[in-house]
Amino acid sequence: MLKEEFRTHSSYSGRSRFLTFPVFVFVLSLGSGLTIDKMLETISLEQFATFTHLSAFIYGLSVGAFGVMGREYLERRYGRSNYLVAMPFLLPISFRTTFLGIYLRDAVFYIVLLLVPATLGLVAAAPFMGFSLVSIGLFFIAILMTFMLGLSLSFLASVVYIRNVPAFVALTAAIAFAFILHGFLGFIDLEALIPSFGFQMSVRPFESDPAAAALGSLITVVAAVLMTALAYSLVEVRLSVHSQLYPSILPAYHARFRAFKGLNRALISKEFVDLRRSGTVAKMFFAFVLPLLFLSFTAWFVNYGLAIPVGFNSVFYAAMVGFVGVLMYNWLNNIDLAEYYSLLPVTVPQLIKVRIVVFLLLTLGISAFFVVAISILNGETDLLLLALLVMFITSLYTVVMTAYLTGLKTNSFLFDTSVLMKFSVMSFLPDLCLTILSFSLFVNWMVALAGIGIVLFSLGMSTLFLYRGIDRKWSGAAF
Amino acid sequence: MHVLEAKGIVMEFGGLKALDNVSIAVDKADFFGFFGPNGAGKSTLIKILTGQLEPTSGSVDVLGIDVVKEPLKVKELIGIVPEVESPPTYLTGYEYLYFVGKVRNLDNLDDRIEKWLSFFDLEAKKGTICKDMSKGMRQKLMLASAFIHEPALLFMDEPFINLDPIYQRILKDYLEEYIAKGGTVFMASHILEISEKLCNKLAIVNLGKVVAQGSIDDLLKGDENLERLFLRSVGVRPGKGE
Repeated sequence: MLKEEFRTHSSYSGRSRFLTFPVFVFVLSLGSGLTIDKMLETISLEQFATFTHLSAFIYGLSVGAFGVMGREYLERRYGRSNYLVAMPFLLPISFRTTFLGIYLRDAVFYIVLLLVPATLGLVAAAPFMGFSLVSIGLFFIAILMTFMLGLSLSFLASVVYIRNVPAFVALTAAIAFAFILHGFLGFIDLEALIPSFGFQMSVRPFESDPAAAALGSLITVVAAVLMTALAYSLVEVRLSVHSQLYPSILPAYHARFRAFKGLNRALISKEFVDLRRSGTVAKMFFAFVLPLLFLSFTAWFVNYGLAIPVGFNSVFYAAMVGFVGVLMYNWLNNIDLAEYYSLLPVTVPQLIKVRIVVFLLLTLGISAFFVVAISILNGETDLLLLALLVMFITSLYTVVMTAYLTGLKTNSFLFDTSVLMKFSVMSFLPDLCLTILSFSLFVNWMVALAGIGIVLFSLGMSTLFLYRGIDRKWSGAAF
Repeated sequence: MHVLEAKGIVMEFGGLKALDNVSIAVDKADFFGFFGPNGAGKSTLIKILTGQLEPTSGSVDVLGIDVVKEPLKVKELIGIVPEVESPPTYLTGYEYLYFVGKVRNLDNLDDRIEKWLSFFDLEAKKGTICKDMSKGMRQKLMLASAFIHEPALLFMDEPFINLDPIYQRILKDYLEEYIAKGGTVFMASHILEISEKLCNKLAIVNLGKVVAQGSIDDLLKGDENLERLFLRSVGVRPGKGE
């Protein structure tokens, strides 16, 4: 299974490029380690640890959604590819064992690919920054436990989803409620929600409380094992192959999208039928709305919860909203296979451009709603127009840049280090400029406004250039 | 003038030659059979001839169009039935044909859809989404989507696979009629019995090289049938049971 995962990812970018991904993570971690002093001038080490653990937890959650994905692999019949998740149909092996195998595969794969190189980066920075190797080791253990907790919870949730959707909704709502109680109302400590964070806070360099550390780690391990065991016992594969007949909705969508002409109209209509029937609206919630909610919470928490005077305003928030879009574009590329397009007079660039349009139709309304809401909540309606403009241009730039770099295989190409490097630079630089300039709005609004104008103009021109480049770059690509 | 002419096609995958200097010519109203053992390069050649794959070297001309330079234009004119039936997961049979019709900008689309759903006995299941269809239904849908625009040239990779004997017969009759009306077929298949009755020309490929090519009457020796010709061409002697 590990080999299969490795070959799936490396088939797009090549073996050597894929293997440079952990090197990239190592370098990034080393860079962060060497510049941590600067970061700690703004936030405390505890706040940094909080963000890191929350990120690891969310990362574990996102990796562990394979309970649902596994079923999709089986249902889609993956064109010419066949995946080992289908083994139980042909070999004397149970689905439970296969799913447990996937769980362990994902755990090992992402620990080796991300957590280990990130830790080694910190180890490499240690001699220069005076980090204690013991602290780094304890940090690795804590983050590993947090990641596994997220992975196990997600594994359980996805298995529950297959058996009983209302139970899944209840479970998700309960978890969201617990985090709201913690974040907005302060009723629950983060240590109670993520016990491994409690472990982190009880060991060096924070405290030295062996009893609390042991308790935190014990609860985390027991919780992760219990959730995995429960998920294992609940695993059920129900292929929804049934005789249900569906009404023909494609002609109605085709009539609705009369603003588009010819081929684009047909492709856009089909994308919307796919979105509706595949249940991607629910997935969209996780891929787009949830990150936006998290971002809104973070913006609120930093401003009012932590009361850090960094000036997170609506314009900064709007830029972030624009950059979150890449997740949604990725989902659009994962709805279905596209092999059958190779039989029709359609090219890869045409489909990429249609998905950009679909992305904009899907997200701009939601993004605008969030930006307006945050502007009102922050009492910054005077910045609303500027914030909306920033959101619109960064959204457009981000999706076009992602589409240009990764085509129709975003998930796999982002594991190609050369693509990831370009992606990081192309998203980080404008993001950094807009962040600094938005923070300066209340200090020197004229200079900040001029700067934001220049950045937006540059992003607009880059968008145009990249959009035109999609034809050149992807015209020879296969679906 | 040939409706299909491929010259010196070479296709390499990571240094491995899947096709080695393959040249083929097909005339109007030919039923051209393309045969070879598993992994001989049949599907790869069909992908190259239909503009789905760019060859390492060589030229392909289909209906007067350079396929390497203008693959899209070629796809507008031809019909393709792929080796693996892979219609879109979430569209119904009706919707897939509607989608293909809109992509190809066809007139009288409802009449065409009705005709092909009826031809393949898919009317009662026209509301079934592709992921819920049996392999046979999916194959019928792929055939219908290749025929719906009445192309002058059909490329078919194992078209009889997954079809029951009734529909193998119906498809065979349709293809004979299609050829009689001036259509051209390029077909790869392992079902030699049916192919022998349909094809007037053929090529046999082995390890990426064409080892026999010409009219079926010229290639068959004495009372030899297509199966024996195939085995002889790829260097396999018939077993004891023969």
